[in-house]
Amino acid sequence: MPDDNTSDQTPPRTRATVTPLRPRPLSSMRVSGSDAPEKREVSVGFIPLTDCASVAVAVAMGFDRKHGLILRPRREASWAAVRDKLASGAIDAAHSLYGLIYGVQLGICGPRHDMAILMTLNQNGQAITFAGHLRDVGVTDATTLSQYMDSRRDELVFAHTFPTGTHAMWLYYWLAAHGIHPLRDVQTITVPPPQMVTQMRHAAIDGYSVGEPWNAQAVYERVGFTVATSQQVWPDHPEKVLATTHEFVRQYPNTARALVMTLLEASRYIDDPAHHETVARIVSARAYVNVDLALVAARLRGDYEDGRGRCWRDPHALRFHAGGSVNYPYLSDGMWFMSQHRRWGLLQQDPDYFAVARHVNQIGLYAEAAGAVGVPVPPAPLRSSTLIDGRVWDGSNPAEYARSFAIQAAPAPAHGKNVLS
Amino acid sequence: MSSTPLKRSIDQTVTEPIRPLRLVLVDDYPERAEVLERALTASGHQIIARFGSGADLRSEVMRIAPDVIIIDVDSADRDILEGMHAINREHPRPVVMFTRDGDPALIRTAVRAGVSAYVVGGLDPERVLPVMNVAIAHFEQFQALQRELEEARTALAERKLIDRAKGILMKQRHMDEEAAYSAMRKMAMDRNLKLVELARSLIAAADLLA
Repeated sequence: MPDDNTSDQTPPRTRATVTPLRPRPLSSMRVSGSDAPEKREVSVGFIPLTDCASVAVAVAMGFDRKHGLILRPRREASWAAVRDKLASGAIDAAHSLYGLIYGVQLGICGPRHDMAILMTLNQNGQAITFAGHLRDVGVTDATTLSQYMDSRRDELVFAHTFPTGTHAMWLYYWLAAHGIHPLRDVQTITVPPPQMVTQMRHAAIDGYSVGEPWNAQAVYERVGFTVATSQQVWPDHPEKVLATTHEFVRQYPNTARALVMTLLEASRYIDDPAHHETVARIVSARAYVNVDLALVAARLRGDYEDGRGRCWRDPHALRFHAGGSVNYPYLSDGMWFMSQHRRWGLLQQDPDYFAVARHVNQIGLYAEAAGAVGVPVPPAPLRSSTLIDGRVWDGSNPAEYARSFAIQAAPAPAHGKNVLS
Repeated sequence: MSSTPLKRSIDQTVTEPIRPLRLVLVDDYPERAEVLERALTASGHQIIARFGSGADLRSEVMRIAPDVIIIDVDSADRDILEGMHAINREHPRPVVMFTRDGDPALIRTAVRAGVSAYVVGGLDPERVLPVMNVAIAHFEQFQALQRELEEARTALAERKLIDRAKGILMKQRHMDEEAAYSAMRKMAMDRNLKLVELARSLIAAADLLA
């Protein structure tokens, strides 16, 4: 359990550690005067995916009003729109890909902008789907994929959702862990999530990496099969975040805190198995994902069917809270995405990994909000995980970690010449 | 390329291009795209294709290799274009977003107007700016029209609600129209409600009792 470490030190310690039993006096950490949100109405963008559930539930269950806010959910059609609307203030916050926010912070996916991650919204629950024709020629995993690729002249085409996003990173990591170079051996393209199944049906893509319910849908419609889940790549990996701009946090700190409190309560509600049916109903409704209830419900519960006759209850299924361990914006999680951006050449140089993560992930604000709603905060802002290739990521030496992979983009030439062309 | 010397106020920011830019428009509102196409053609550019959603944008863009793609901010197809500027050895002329190193104020204006643009790498941003300004102006104009239409619709819907609530009062309390209306105005004022909100609750109450 967290100890009460309040000294202002360099990593790996958090500044404020709060337990439900022993709440810190929050007043000392807050702006003098009222804690009331400076801005009550908060527009929150989301992409129709099962893991937008916390936004949907926060509104449906009135957690926003409880904390003095009025959430205005805004359904967005593309991650590009989420990025642009966040940066330009057209929306206040958004359900967003972890790697997208870092991409914007680093200026490697559109204009650079100072971003803030308030909390992690979920872990796990994404997957890689292969087209039925691959199953028909005996491809069932990465090894058989590799063999099949050797027998083919043309490249297979795999889709993800955004160049710096999470699904690209799960796909790349999974392929590379099995000796397939994602930038050389296959062709990768971006496709909006709701179009994945259609594109696969039209044979425009051979596989894709995306959030639910779009993998479940391929199985349901017998268009493809689930070849790997994202939790196989990294059990309990970070996925979507609640993001806003630095400017917003500075201007409306109370609103930002209330927003985290609201979404923490929604997350806690979702993870209670007794509420799964209700949550599935809310999320699958027209205003959110707009699909059959069944498509959302099974994998939300952790019940998987892979489209090849295998069924299982997944121990690392999509989760939203887990006593707060899902929601804490670990600096090591943020740094991992940067390490992969570096690995795949999206970043031409090493950033100051720790400084950027510290700047983007609002661990102090999170700790205040978590304390206020009785959610425990982990004792350190770094965590240790073992990924699919057996490699351990614990947040130490990110630059070395990024360089250490056998399969990576060609290193940039020393004289700074463009490697392309 | 057909160029007619049709210059209006909206085109005044447009300077004469050196060589016409080859543009693609992606918009689900054909009426907006058509007007924009006319304006851009008039200022000397070439619209080589127009798409709604559902086209195979990736293949089309690779096939026709436009200089600039003007696209509705809310088009789902934008992420397809986002992917095309990522490291991609078979596509040596990557598409980059116009606003990549752009002026934040311009981005804000464009996003609010509902338009964004993707530009083939290496093209001078100065040359794209006038195109962007024309697009922004037209998207803004379209937005204003949509808003007016929306407001007119809302006003009509509200008037219907108020009339219905008035009818209920007239029937229930045997009032004439004028008395019912002034009673509603007084109730709204006393409760600090808009007239339409009061009308809504009167209707809801009547429905409940019915």
